[in-house]
Amino acid sequence: MPTGQDIVRTTSTFNCGGRCPLRLHVNNGTIVRVEGDDGAEPEQLRACLRCRAYRHWVYHPDRLKYPARRMGRKGEGKFERITWDEALDTIVAHLKQVKQTYDNPSIFLGGGAYIGALHNGRAALGRVLARFGGYTTSYGNISAEGSVWACQVTYGTTLVGNSRDDLPNSRLIILWGWDPVRMIQGTDTIINLIEAKEGGTRFVAVDPRYHDSAALLADKWIPIRPGTDTAMMVAMAHTMIQENLYDKTFLEKHTVGFEKFRDYIMGQEDGITKTPAWAEKITGVAAGPIGQLAREYAITKPAALMDCYGPARSAQGEQFNRCAIALAAMTGNIGRHGGNAAGGLMHTPLGSVRISGLPVTRNPVETNAALIQGSVDLKARLVCSIHTNKIFDAFLRGKAGGYPADIKMAWFVGGNPLNQHGNSNKAAKALTNLDFLVVSELFMTPTARFADILLPVTASIEHNELTGPWTSGPYVTFANEAIEPPGECKSDWQIAREIAVRLGFDDFDLLPEEEWLKKSAVDSQGDPIQDYPKFKREGIVRTRLAEPHVAFKKQIDDPEHNPFPTPSGKVEIYSQRVADLNRPLCPPIPKYISSGEDLNNPLRQKYPLQLISPHPRNRVHSTLYNVDWLREIEPHQMWINATDAEARGISNGDLAYVFNNRGKLAITAWVTERIMPGVVCIFEGAWYDPDEEGIDRGGCVNVLTDDTYTEGGACALNTVLVQVSKKKDN
Amino acid sequence: MQIGFYFDQTRCTGCGACAVACKDWHDIPAGPENWIRVLYSEKGKYPDLFVSYLVVPCYHCLDPICARACPTGAIFKRTEDGIVLVDKQACLSIEECKAACLTACPYKAPQFGPEPAARMHKCDFCLDRWLKKKLPICVEACPTHALDAGILSELEAKYGQIVAAEGFVYSKRTRPAVVLKPKTRKILEK
Repeated sequence: MPTGQDIVRTTSTFNCGGRCPLRLHVNNGTIVRVEGDDGAEPEQLRACLRCRAYRHWVYHPDRLKYPARRMGRKGEGKFERITWDEALDTIVAHLKQVKQTYDNPSIFLGGGAYIGALHNGRAALGRVLARFGGYTTSYGNISAEGSVWACQVTYGTTLVGNSRDDLPNSRLIILWGWDPVRMIQGTDTIINLIEAKEGGTRFVAVDPRYHDSAALLADKWIPIRPGTDTAMMVAMAHTMIQENLYDKTFLEKHTVGFEKFRDYIMGQEDGITKTPAWAEKITGVAAGPIGQLAREYAITKPAALMDCYGPARSAQGEQFNRCAIALAAMTGNIGRHGGNAAGGLMHTPLGSVRISGLPVTRNPVETNAALIQGSVDLKARLVCSIHTNKIFDAFLRGKAGGYPADIKMAWFVGGNPLNQHGNSNKAAKALTNLDFLVVSELFMTPTARFADILLPVTASIEHNELTGPWTSGPYVTFANEAIEPPGECKSDWQIAREIAVRLGFDDFDLLPEEEWLKKSAVDSQGDPIQDYPKFKREGIVRTRLAEPHVAFKKQIDDPEHNPFPTPSGKVEIYSQRVADLNRPLCPPIPKYISSGEDLNNPLRQKYPLQLISPHPRNRVHSTLYNVDWLREIEPHQMWINATDAEARGISNGDLAYVFNNRGKLAITAWVTERIMPGVVCIFEGAWYDPDEEGIDRGGCVNVLTDDTYTEGGACALNTVLVQVSKKKDN
Repeated sequence: MQIGFYFDQTRCTGCGACAVACKDWHDIPAGPENWIRVLYSEKGKYPDLFVSYLVVPCYHCLDPICARACPTGAIFKRTEDGIVLVDKQACLSIEECKAACLTACPYKAPQFGPEPAARMHKCDFCLDRWLKKKLPICVEACPTHALDAGILSELEAKYGQIVAAEGFVYSKRTRPAVVLKPKTRKILEK
């Protein structure tokens, strides 16, 4: 622990796509200032406003400092302080009682927004509970599951991204549902996009919003109705085929099933020719610009179609990234510098956090583990686990509702699912009905309010930790302990150890923190870090790449010796594995399928507006929402087009009510021309705060979203119809 | 010698990292006191738009009108580097002079906290850092390298002498020490 005046090199463990070196000025045990990376250019990794405000997060007066037990009603948020012994003994008594009475699957463990190797509660507690006989958990991630499935089906891997220094090699970059100014996806992404722009790369943004990335970069903005992106892509494929603009050699050499996709596009399969005029009616984008973008993408080489996971966070969202990959293949942009493999994830193998030093313990409840290895069958994955967007429905309905278990107790660690998953009102009901809930948290989040036992945990700089960027690299970071934890906070890993001892596993993780970190420390190539003290001191190990990393370069340059990890060894535009599932809404080729709750739905009469909920600029999902320095940068507001606002008598700054069958929230309207008419936007992550009438005064967008998912696992959170009114009662 | 700022409006995303870093470095609470502000401009009608941001610290004017407006001479310009500072002890407070400095400044650089007899505070070019040969924290904090600072003549040699940008009006009376790279309105392609 530093004494006197010191600079501590550390970083956050937020669920953020960036990972930024920080230099904390620590004065007698207190952080007084934050400075960023002082690495040499061009590798310097500049932190954004979120970590610049770290001090007001870690020293927030509302930090939870002591274990507590619920006093009032569930969700009321009234607690009394107890000792750690009381808290942990209570939890262990419930674990034993649930195991004895109902068996292990009735224990649920959830969460996972902490990005670190050791003090990672879900991983550490998972290992303890596995030894206890197992537990039920969730499958899939709430943000990008459609993209994950699309990549697995088409490429057989999720590592589909290029290192960001390859972006300036593109002559055309299409930002499709991607706003990297707000959603940091690699600390070095924006600066490389700017370099591309200034070097003459052309940018086109396809999005319902003229977002800040579009304002920064785009030569052209194509507004598109939410949930219809795949229709536009399908029509672009039509133009390329019709005008003979696609790379037949590439398709023949590296892909399977293009002819089936072509039959669908040209109408041989279903009698509907997927022309730009066909797509115009669905997407709201005129046929002309659709054809024009198709030509431009086909002719400009190399070109990067950056299809993010926002549009895939919709019903049938997996089709969006599948179709983007088909276009990337048709234009021969896979495996080439300046191109992009598409697929949404943009992940590289260069920066992921590894936990190689820690023991692996299989969860005995997951008896289907062998069957789901590499499977694209979502149903097989959900035999023993619960889809992440259905956790609360499963709590409410249990086995009778088709779920794998009747959940009797749950433990959320590193997560705020009531707030961040679909249908928050249903989640509140489920947590009210749940027998016993433990929440490990730093703050009294909307989920934490429902806890029976609340455990206060440490922030990234109150312990030592290995962490890294989501998977954009090439670097790994060390989060150094800079200050003492406040009150009686413990790390999630310490808590897991204490639970283990109480359950009789005296040998659980016996090594001290430092030894585990040393064992686990690997660089972004996966090689052990030889000079561990230097890594710890400097807080980062950067890897200098000889040239930018490009996904699938080997597979394209030398396909003979480097097959794709798919059954055919090629890019699977047609997937036999998916065909074998034989499910109508899960076609073996990418197709446009209506998202259900869209403008074709009769619900439109009552709820005429489409709602999207992108990543916010000034918080990491719901983390940091309570930080005043960040809140004043941008108040929580709803984007609404002036036409829609005027029709409802709403002026800029007015309080508006947004509602549908699932809930109602109150939020300030921001009247702007930057969102297309018919669409409203509420950034995710504001904290749920229902009043006595059930109106969410916090503006948590998930009171309006649905807890559904589609065949590839995509959460349908951008598939929402709502009405907006100035009046509270409608 | 005269210090100054450089701002590349074409690179600004309006993220606010400069503003948060400023509050952190100078330990300013959330609230009305903002030594550096990010102004927003939206022009045009859907779907033909022009969006820009303007970062406004104190431009440490060559002829600081705030100093002339101050009834007690609390505002002064350092001869050695041109940084405009305020002597907080000499400031009469917002109630006494009705913020004459703020009224005079065309860029609203003088800042006051929410308390009743707030005294003026303002951007000091991170004097503590400058004396250690470091640039202001806002410059270091900008994720897109849209900001730079240093000796004005050197900035002019490096970036040119443009003093125009969307939302910015050059005051000939005060002569702000700034070099700008403006974002110009381009009709978005249909």
